[in-house]
Amino acid sequence: MTTPDPTPDPAPAPAAPDPTGAPAPAAALPRGRGLSVPETGALLIVLIALFVYFSIASRFFLNPENLINILQNVAVVGIIACPATLLLISGQFDLSVGSGVGFAGMLMAVAALAPGTGGVDLPFAMNLQVSSAFIVAVIGTLMIGVINAVAVTFIGINALITTLGTLAIFRGLTKVLGDGQTIRIEGFGELGVLRIAGIPLPVYIFIACVIAFWLVLRYTVYGRSLYAIGASPSAARLAGIRTRRVIFIAFLLSSLCVALAGLIRLSQVAGASVNSGLGIELSVITAVVLGGASLSGGRGGIGGTVLAVLIVGVLANGLIQLNVPSFWIEVANGLLLLGAVTVDRVRLRLTRADV
Amino acid sequence: MTFALQARGIRKSFGGVEVLHGVDLDAVGGSVLALLGENGAGKSTLVKIIAGDYTADAGEIIVGDESHASLTPITARDLGVAIIFQEFQDAPTLTVAENISLGRLPNRMGIVNWRVVRKRARRILDELDVDIDPSRAVSTLRVGERQIIEIARALSRSAKLLILDEPTAALSQHETETLFGFVRRLRAQGVAIIYITHRLDEVTAIADRVQVLRDGNVALLAPVVETDRATMIEAMVGRHITEIPRPPDRDLSVQDGPAIRWVGAASGDAFRDATVLVHRGELVAIYGKLGSGAAELGETAYGLRPITAGTMEINGQPATIAGPVQGVAAGVGFLPADRKAGGGFMVRPVAENVAVASWPRLASFGQFIRRSSETRAYRRWHDRLSIRSRNDPRQQMGTLSGGNQQKVLLGRWLERDSRVLVLIEPTRGVDVGARQDIYRALRDLAEAGVAVLISTSDYEEAVQVADRVYVMAKGEIVADLVGDEITTTRLLAAAGG
Repeated sequence: MTTPDPTPDPAPAPAAPDPTGAPAPAAALPRGRGLSVPETGALLIVLIALFVYFSIASRFFLNPENLINILQNVAVVGIIACPATLLLISGQFDLSVGSGVGFAGMLMAVAALAPGTGGVDLPFAMNLQVSSAFIVAVIGTLMIGVINAVAVTFIGINALITTLGTLAIFRGLTKVLGDGQTIRIEGFGELGVLRIAGIPLPVYIFIACVIAFWLVLRYTVYGRSLYAIGASPSAARLAGIRTRRVIFIAFLLSSLCVALAGLIRLSQVAGASVNSGLGIELSVITAVVLGGASLSGGRGGIGGTVLAVLIVGVLANGLIQLNVPSFWIEVANGLLLLGAVTVDRVRLRLTRADV
Repeated sequence: MTFALQARGIRKSFGGVEVLHGVDLDAVGGSVLALLGENGAGKSTLVKIIAGDYTADAGEIIVGDESHASLTPITARDLGVAIIFQEFQDAPTLTVAENISLGRLPNRMGIVNWRVVRKRARRILDELDVDIDPSRAVSTLRVGERQIIEIARALSRSAKLLILDEPTAALSQHETETLFGFVRRLRAQGVAIIYITHRLDEVTAIADRVQVLRDGNVALLAPVVETDRATMIEAMVGRHITEIPRPPDRDLSVQDGPAIRWVGAASGDAFRDATVLVHRGELVAIYGKLGSGAAELGETAYGLRPITAGTMEINGQPATIAGPVQGVAAGVGFLPADRKAGGGFMVRPVAENVAVASWPRLASFGQFIRRSSETRAYRRWHDRLSIRSRNDPRQQMGTLSGGNQQKVLLGRWLERDSRVLVLIEPTRGVDVGARQDIYRALRDLAEAGVAVLISTSDYEEAVQVADRVYVMAKGEIVADLVGDEITTTRLLAAAGG
């Protein structure tokens, strides 16, 4: 690395530290990198604390089957939370994931269904091979991403309204496909249930997603473009970034992972229920925001999301183990989301540099 | 009795750093005080304390014969202090009349009395002698008109001290003169005015006294008639600044074809029949006031605005640039007027801000970026452009001053090796000192063979840097000046005063 020659007439040395920016309170705070490192540490401490607490409070919590159960649930939410982190970093989000999970499973189950079997006669039953039905389900679910992406990037509808709309549409279509019933599927156990070295396959898929998305965010032009767009969409456009394309791909990735998660769910329970995945969008958004991705875009990472997904999963499971009624667990999830958003606002206020 | 506000020994710290070290300020009814100072000198902090937005750590504010240790926004308003910020504090979707009564709509038991709202608006607007329909939505007004509505609102609260924070930054010449008219009229009515600016010619035009702040101290306080430009600049920057001379004339005839050329170009209503040539190694300015088409012409080079008639050529080839992506590909670099909204990524590191346009080149296999390559890119330009930062490539862009942000953005296009640079208002909101750094960098670039085009509404800027100046007014090019012809007087005369 060479240092270029200084200009022939160098400016007089500034008083260190340089009195940068407006003399607003934030300018006086010598923070350049936000709070990312201590934040991840804080999440880790919360996770460990929860873990220790539930281990002591419940005799069943540390049971290996229970721990695997946690991992299995975490894997489904986590696989969706990876692309959700990308979206939030770029200033977007996808609420349609809950319906997508149900839709993917139902589409595959119905596609594999032989007409007239099991006393039901569904108009959409296609009697396909399991592998073909799988492909149909993935392509069908990708359409959710296409609709979201077109609406947000080309029509210019905001992500909240768009994905709220597709959330309703695809929950409805799931019910249409299955005629409101639970549809069984045979011969599709491996994806959700197969264990390697005692750990279920979905956990490995989750880990693979984490590594892939971590690499994308940190090291690729695509990932850096997401941060740039989240930090300032207009500046990103002026810097020559194809902002629409980048956002479009992020929505496609979201629906792709949703398809994967939905089919894992299907495989785990060997049947598609019309309510499968209901409310999963709440867990996903909670995890991503809790993990440090800012609602105002431009910040965040996969590491925080992973820890936060674990926190959400451990909390839900631990409360069940303590026999807390499930209604209260919903309340806890909502509180966690509000808490995470509050932390995001406070952090923004502390680190805001451009007042 | 004449209104008088005296601030005495005002001190204020933020996060352990004292930004005002015991400053005095006197505002007197019927007099205009110009408050000058670089960014960070403490002007905004001082007036915000006077307006009650901030609480001083020490000192007092004396109004009449009452002393206040601190003011709140409400007590300040009751004392007659009104402040008008650069960023409008209005509700653009509401009507003019409603904005004038904003926050104190006349009502009976919560039911708004619209008749009084309209009457109040009409009375104030008549008093100011402006012809704006009170039932229009504020968002449909021009910038200058919106400012007038802000002043009207302050006056309808019977303000006795009006603080204007760089009020002309976004105004056209005509609107500026209208504003000056107001200020003079208010002064005659006995209102005290504090006028924050960085334009020295405005100080001479409008102010009675000038007070310069530097690093939280008063560096100069004098009647305007007893001071001059050089004294004010020196007080602001704390050292003798040599304004860079007119660049030496160069023989531009031997150069090959123009790097960028518009022939009879038009873009909607923004400008028409513009023929502009920028050669490699040449620094061309398009000088024109807001709305003259100067900025809009620059924007067509980057595809931000379509060319609806005539042609644009880059390196002799007809160029169809539909957007920034094609602009970058054609070798054009672009710096917008609004750094916050359109240029920099304030929450991202400076290194990333430099590297962003060069990612495809810095990446291996077209996709994989390493931080170290961004860091190297940043270091390449940090010293060359005298960027004043912590020399930490991960420092957040938003923590830099406006001038240094602009240097980082310049570095972005240098790293991209752009051969054509288009800058809109390159030094708006930039300190005097940093401004010279930017001018020097631009001159160096031109000498290194880059074609540089700046669109500016600052005639001093055009005089200081340009080899050639095109003057635009009302969407047309009205003058084409080279070398010695480029003088303040000729620019102003050409632009229509």
